[in-house]
Amino acid sequence: MSCADELMLDSCIKCSICVAHCPVARVSDQFAGPKQNGPDLERFRLEGPDAVSSQAVYCTNCKNCDVACPSGVSVSAMISRAKGELVARQGAALRDRLMARTELLGRANRISPALVNWCTKSKPLRRLGEKIFGISAEMTLPRYAEKTFYDLYALKNQFFKENLFGAKHAAVVYFPGCYVIYNRPEAGLALMDVLVRNGVRVLVDRLDCCGLPLISNGFLTEARKCAQKNIQQLEGYFVRGYQVITSCPSCKLVLKREYKELFGLGSAGLSGDQVVDIFEYLQTMVRRGKLDRGFNPLPMRVGYHQPCHLKAGGYGVPSKELMGLIPGLRVEDLDSGCCGLSGNYGFKREKYANSMAIGREVFRTVKEMGIKHVVTECGICQLQINHGTGAAVYHPVELLAKAYGYCGYSRAQNSGIQSRRCENVFENGK
Amino acid sequence: MILDGFDVAIIGAGLSGLTAAAKAAEEGKKVLVVAKGAGVVELSSGCIDLWGYCLDRPHQVCRRPLDEIASLVAVNPDHPYAKVWDVLEESLDFFLRVCSENDCPYLEKRGGNWLLPTALGTVRPTYLAPATMAVESLELAKGILVVGFRELKDFYPEVLAANLKRNLELNPGCRLSAAMVSVGGGELTPNALANRLEQPEVLTGVISQVKPLLSPGYLALFPPVLGERRNARVAGDLAEGLECPAYEVANIPPALPGQRLYRTLLHHLKNLGVEVIIGSQVTGADISGRRCLGITAAGATGTLKISARTFVLATGSFLGGGLEAGPGRVYEPVFNLPVTAARGEWSEKDFLCLGGHPFSRFGIAVNERLQPLDGRGRVLVENLMVTGASLAGCDYTVEKCGNGVAVATGYKAGKLAAGEVVR
Amino acid sequence: MVWMDMNTDSVQVVVIGGGVTGTGILRDLAMRGIPAVLVEQGGLANGTSSRFHGLLHSGARYAVVDREAARECLKENRILQRIAPNWVEPTGGIFVQLPGDDPDYAGRWVAACKEVGIIPEEIDVRELTKSNPALNSSITRAFKVPDGTVDGYQVIWGNVNSARRYGARVLTYSRVTAIHQSNGSVAGVELTSTLTGEKKLIECQMVINAAGPWAKEVAAMAGVEVNVARDKGTLITFNHRLTNQVLNRLRPPGDGDIFVPHGTVTIFGTTSAYVGEPDHTRPEFREVLDLVKIGSEVIPDLEKYRLIRAFAGVRPLYQSGTAACGRSLSRYFTILDHQQLDGLAGFISIVGGKFTTFRLMAEKTVDLVARRLGVNAPCRTAWELLADPVPESLLRRGRKIFGSPGAQKAAKRLGDGFAGLVRQAEEDPQKRRVICECELVSLGEIEHAALSGDCFTLGDVRRKTRMGMGTCQGAFCGCRALGMLNNYPGFAGNYRMHLADYLQERWKGIRPVLWGHQLREAQLSLGVYCALLCLERMK
Repeated sequence: MSCADELMLDSCIKCSICVAHCPVARVSDQFAGPKQNGPDLERFRLEGPDAVSSQAVYCTNCKNCDVACPSGVSVSAMISRAKGELVARQGAALRDRLMARTELLGRANRISPALVNWCTKSKPLRRLGEKIFGISAEMTLPRYAEKTFYDLYALKNQFFKENLFGAKHAAVVYFPGCYVIYNRPEAGLALMDVLVRNGVRVLVDRLDCCGLPLISNGFLTEARKCAQKNIQQLEGYFVRGYQVITSCPSCKLVLKREYKELFGLGSAGLSGDQVVDIFEYLQTMVRRGKLDRGFNPLPMRVGYHQPCHLKAGGYGVPSKELMGLIPGLRVEDLDSGCCGLSGNYGFKREKYANSMAIGREVFRTVKEMGIKHVVTECGICQLQINHGTGAAVYHPVELLAKAYGYCGYSRAQNSGIQSRRCENVFENGK
Repeated sequence: MILDGFDVAIIGAGLSGLTAAAKAAEEGKKVLVVAKGAGVVELSSGCIDLWGYCLDRPHQVCRRPLDEIASLVAVNPDHPYAKVWDVLEESLDFFLRVCSENDCPYLEKRGGNWLLPTALGTVRPTYLAPATMAVESLELAKGILVVGFRELKDFYPEVLAANLKRNLELNPGCRLSAAMVSVGGGELTPNALANRLEQPEVLTGVISQVKPLLSPGYLALFPPVLGERRNARVAGDLAEGLECPAYEVANIPPALPGQRLYRTLLHHLKNLGVEVIIGSQVTGADISGRRCLGITAAGATGTLKISARTFVLATGSFLGGGLEAGPGRVYEPVFNLPVTAARGEWSEKDFLCLGGHPFSRFGIAVNERLQPLDGRGRVLVENLMVTGASLAGCDYTVEKCGNGVAVATGYKAGKLAAGEVVR
Repeated sequence: MVWMDMNTDSVQVVVIGGGVTGTGILRDLAMRGIPAVLVEQGGLANGTSSRFHGLLHSGARYAVVDREAARECLKENRILQRIAPNWVEPTGGIFVQLPGDDPDYAGRWVAACKEVGIIPEEIDVRELTKSNPALNSSITRAFKVPDGTVDGYQVIWGNVNSARRYGARVLTYSRVTAIHQSNGSVAGVELTSTLTGEKKLIECQMVINAAGPWAKEVAAMAGVEVNVARDKGTLITFNHRLTNQVLNRLRPPGDGDIFVPHGTVTIFGTTSAYVGEPDHTRPEFREVLDLVKIGSEVIPDLEKYRLIRAFAGVRPLYQSGTAACGRSLSRYFTILDHQQLDGLAGFISIVGGKFTTFRLMAEKTVDLVARRLGVNAPCRTAWELLADPVPESLLRRGRKIFGSPGAQKAAKRLGDGFAGLVRQAEEDPQKRRVICECELVSLGEIEHAALSGDCFTLGDVRRKTRMGMGTCQGAFCGCRALGMLNNYPGFAGNYRMHLADYLQERWKGIRPVLWGHQLREAQLSLGVYCALLCLERMK
């Protein structure tokens, strides 16, 4: 424990605000809450690191405790470390070991995404999976894309390359994250469309998982290795003056915060402003008058859900201002708290009920407001909201791309051609 | 990220900050709230205490708090109420309207103090109470049943029942009893219990356990867990099902009434289009001459550069982090404003002393426009206002005025910011 | 303890003082078959015995100045490790030398240690500062010695429980208001209950004055003089464990040179100042600042760490002749046989000493008592365990219920009683509830304490369980504990009194460290009890 950690521990005045804001503790009696599992037990862990309650695995790492804490305590990091200690001592289920390696899963699924997707929809197989592996048969598993973001990028590379010659702005590297790579490449391509449209040079390089699923499942040794590898790779870009752009708030949180908090790893590039959210980046362009404002009207009403990890970033909702530039688009804030899925938490048999109970407010609001389209920055939130409400879900950057006139990725893929301007995309958007 | 073009930027998400935001936004201003964490209003009773006791008889509950405050400001110009006396009643009306519009209604007691029971069995004077807590005529009840939940470790009905008799003159024939009910076992946090009570079948179960213990003319008191959402109907449904009035009493945190108040105000702000960023700590201010040009806030993974015409410092006292102290020295960390503090001892020997502890009164000195002053009474930053527990001169712990001062000063700051009277 | 109906009682020996010396004597008497009653004016473990840093000396600290004391410390240290394994933590201790310290002292100290049988092991300073980054990196030399920590409260309860098993009795909240004599011999003591004011007489043949800083007053009641210097030592408690070993300064013993990790906290002290009154235990703001300043020489960031409270104990230092005070006075104990000194038969005073050697002091005292009473039974306190260690299988069951640290702590505190607690909690899940969240004290354990017969106030429960001794200093557990008093017949009086006394006692220790986060905590606590619950006006 470093001196800073000890000072942080000392800041806790036991006010219990974190308990009131914990999505798990409010729906379940399996988790006594962040105070007890975080700062309370942390004092005992200084004496013996085994002071970990087995409840720690019920923490979703949503970080609402950190946000609510009036004393600035990083409660969630304490729990993550404790979870790591627990897993190191007791081991983990095969399921958790598999689920924590999203990259491996993604690659394995590459063999035949269609087969995998068929399997995940097959009720009998899912029941078997629940029995054997403890993966909830009720939860909608993420669909694996026919082609990964990287595959598609290679396919479309021609198109982007042409644009590079006309690039007017500094170069950036895109950190897509597993969900974009394996499950929803269309969001990544939309991001590319938007940046390229604005004359930004985007470098797409193979970047690995940020390590969050490893952290959330308590595999800290592996997560640390992952962090070291990523930092080394990213440093290579930083020294060449690249900024790193993320579209997933969780990836950004892990790169900028968790590496340092959990492993004491970091770099000037990571802690400075060289890692930015796509909308922070675009907002800066707006401020400089450099953003192409040629948006077509999108006459549609969407509900906006703020992911917990964006909230935890503490820099507001930068996508709001950008979406506000699209004529005709009505964005309504769902303002209903955590969706409950939290990485692969809600896929687990014993946690599925908690996950759905946590998300109930979001589902209720979507239904009560009569919302058909939901935008949110986090792929996992998208999955859960779609699962709980049936609403169509998008990353906000997809709306931007659409307003610029780029059609959705699925079309491009089916026709096997590059992205083209097309009209009336939203008639297709269910 | 740059956040500019705001009319008002408010630092702190406690009751005074959120009230200031609501008022300014209702007047059409573009408002931003940035705070390090959730407002400590969540730790409060959820009631708006205005003034508890007579100035000259500290054990005697005062009948007309507004009159008492009028006398107070006449003799104590340094009390925060003295700075907001002009808008005090207006601010309370504003608060009542906002809460009722957002389905979390508050009630006043015809200009007097409510005397509401607490979990300890004491009675606390307060001016505005959430409808779920506003016990009408406790002293007339033929019987009072105090109900606890087996799942909750923070509330002991026997304590309330045993002490209420000693602390309040009840109807001579009043029967006081305590009961424990269950909602299915386990140990629940107050929030989890409140969440569970919103499920109709759970509530029906509670009603069926409690109802046989009631007789006509009884009222029932519960811990402050009757519903989690700001607009929860649990208290009303309970009363209907039990066919007797049912209320929540004040208890140690976490308690739901304070949380509901916080959520009500946030909901209102959201509807007004106010930008609210929690989890970002303001670390510094850009001051030029006697004006604040902007502030910087640091979140976990991003920095904010915020500029606005007017700023409101609503960061609270020590508890909220608005004031910080080292051994023998106290300071305000954002603007480094001078803090009015006692020269001698910071605390009294007796923890429960009726006069309060000197450190409770530490804070920022302001003028009637809530602008911070230096030792000689000169305005330090013209477009900055200070509200709530950050202010010097009051001790909410013994005066019972915390949320009242917060509402009144917050309201005035919002109004001044909207009227652009702050040059 | 329930007051007996009759006002007169009789026993062979009355021991006055419920500290570690008195309870140690009670145990020894009982084990030798001498019927005895211990009387204490407050709760047990309320005086000097619990107001120290909890250091189990190896003797190294005294090796240079008092070889005999050092030798006995070492011997008793080993005995205590054997008889009280639950309550002694053999953490080891480190003596560190800083650049400003006299470099020659180390040589003298090592030689003196070796002479008394302690072999200090010099350790690599770089290794030390690497594994303890909080330490001053300019430490010049460091030595390891077999210091440890001891839970003063539990040793006292252990003495009492052991003594009870042999038939001894304990009366707490019973102040001695007179010592009766007849024909040059003590005949009995008059007691007044500090809870009810009721009086009671105990006839006896012998009285042992083990009243620590009150020894002078007790002796005066018997008409004899015992000259005790009262030396106040202030200590401060940090919110967390700063080190996992005892830290000592390698220099002649002085103020602020011992850090002791104690469970979740670190205790640092002490100061030394002559005081007039035996109950002058109020720590001062100034003393705290001085301590922090000295301590930062070893831990440079010390002032940044959160203090949760300060406390002070009064050391009773025996003066035989001319007045002297403070640290230069011997800490070694003295047994005064007033039959020889003053011609008063049956009256013995035991003064001085230190916690580590309490058992030896008891042994020597009871040897004298036994001689006077013609009892031949030998002392067995060095061999019989104070409490049996908790078997691993039971601990495993406990962990399932209370979690890892919760079970471990409760098992250590309760010793033999832990089995009952586990059984109860297995049957009734309500008993598993954590009432004191800072120190992980369960409802079951609090009930166990409250129903033990020795607890009459929340303070008694606190001393037995650590409830309220953590970060929040009673802000939350006070309320919860109050809620349960209903069930315990021992808790006479009204709720306000119990809660207010409990909080007031906490407040005394918080006041001298009222800044930083502890000031925030105090504001929260006042917010809860006054703003929210109106306790200050409760009737």
